[in-house]
Amino acid sequence: MIQLAGSFIESISVSTGFRFDLLAGYMPLFLKGTLYTIGISLFAIFIGLILGLLIGLGELMRNKLLSFPFKAYVAFVRGTPFFVQILIIHFGVIPVFLGKTNGVAAGIVALSLNSAAYIAEIFRAGIQSIDKGQMEAARSLGMTHTQAMKSVILPQAFKRMIPPLGNEFITLIKESSLTAIVAVPEIMYWARAFNGEYYRVWEPYLLAAVIYFILTFTLSILLSHLEKRLATDDKS
Amino acid sequence: MIRVENLKKTFGKNEVLKDISVTIKPQEVVVVIGPSGSGKSTFLRCLNLLETITAGHVYIEGVDIADKKTDINKIRTEVGMVFQQFNLFPHKTVLENIILAPMKVKKQSREQAVKKARELLGKVGLAEKENVYPDSLSGGQKQRVAIARALAMEPKIMLFDEPTSALDPEMVGEVLEVMKQLAREGMTMVVVTHEMGFAREVGDRVIFMDGGYIVEENTPNQLFNNPQHERTKLFLSKVL
Ligand SMILES: Nc1ncnc2c1ncn2[C@@H]1O[C@H](COP(=O)(O)OP(=O)(O)OP(=O)(O)O)[C@@H](O)[C@H]1O
Ligand SMILES: [Mg+2]
Repeated sequence: MIQLAGSFIESISVSTGFRFDLLAGYMPLFLKGTLYTIGISLFAIFIGLILGLLIGLGELMRNKLLSFPFKAYVAFVRGTPFFVQILIIHFGVIPVFLGKTNGVAAGIVALSLNSAAYIAEIFRAGIQSIDKGQMEAARSLGMTHTQAMKSVILPQAFKRMIPPLGNEFITLIKESSLTAIVAVPEIMYWARAFNGEYYRVWEPYLLAAVIYFILTFTLSILLSHLEKRLATDDKS
Repeated sequence: MIRVENLKKTFGKNEVLKDISVTIKPQEVVVVIGPSGSGKSTFLRCLNLLETITAGHVYIEGVDIADKKTDINKIRTEVGMVFQQFNLFPHKTVLENIILAPMKVKKQSREQAVKKARELLGKVGLAEKENVYPDSLSGGQKQRVAIARALAMEPKIMLFDEPTSALDPEMVGEVLEVMKQLAREGMTMVVVTHEMGFAREVGDRVIFMDGGYIVEENTPNQLFNNPQHERTKLFLSKVL
């Protein structure tokens, strides 16, 4: 079986000139890169979720003066390219805090701050999508705004947020490839290194594409399972 | 029990309640009628401060509810409200809908809240539905659960805003029956409704609102059979 696969790959590489042998040497690096991609994405999702919830609640504050900074932040992040944001964080923001710059820190911070803005919008839209009669019913029973939010509004809103949050996580994994430009050793970093070393295009970039696809596809399957489970929870 | 003095309410430039004064005594059932847009819902919602009050005062058992020092959440535990659209919590079972506020607001133990909830479900005739989600209930059942949910806080006053208007005709009766029972038990009630039969049967007093004013108020008998104002006559000629 393995022999068969081996000879199959060999025949492709002969007929197309695809250099599996070079890729094989880079495999440990791509593997490490994949772990980095997963790692910084998880970090960014976690921080982005917390910041996003806070920013989203900030946007919903009734006092316009108080909600303005949150809205401005979201508008700024959404209105500027992630590429630019990464460079600003890497060369401008991180050195202020750490004294020198650090690619991984910059990558995680940039991804978190970026996704926080999009997640804030998802939270805001999710909360606003809940019928206002729900809040009124809860308040009419004597619950405080915070109690009503926690027990009535947010549990319903979270359920509606799962599909758009899933999309955001997938976007985030793909965007994390841009952190290669600040030398985060993730997938694209090693793909570019391969390209620089051997002057070959198809091998590294096709492999990178396949790895990203496997990551995002797996995530989307997990999310659709979660969605189905929550949907059936309701009807029991 | 409820005293409303020169209540005014505006939305932007739209003055919806112009000058409402009325007193509601303990155990009284007051029915509010009037054409669409006359401010009935707004009036009711001012009584538990779901709408802010533009001017005037609302006193619940002597407490000015719009006073900054008043704990409105405390007042609201004593003033239950039932909505036209039920507003049950769809992510919670019938039982959970009912015990949520007693546990969160009154800090009752779960056993205590469940005991009371079961008692109330029995009273509204839905004892066997405690573990289903609101989605699987009919409109009439939903509204009866909503009434039970409000009663679980053991309020002294119940406000009803067109509780049967969203129901199919065959379900109106079962909800009105629960409300009648409540009235017989001596609950103080303010009911906005188009059910004139209910007003006649259980209302101690009927208030006719139009254009943001209370145009006329009287016993059901007097108001329906012997209306004093042209606008009341016109309205009654359309609905009776
Ligand atoms: N939140 C709001 N913002 C602005 N205008 C409002 C608001 N709520 C009610 N109004 C306006 O106040 C007026 C009275 O409304 P209200 O709902 O109190 O009337 P109603 O007598 O209950 O009518 P209906 O029989 O249709 O329920 C209407 O003109 C309505 O458009
Ligand atoms: Mg109304």
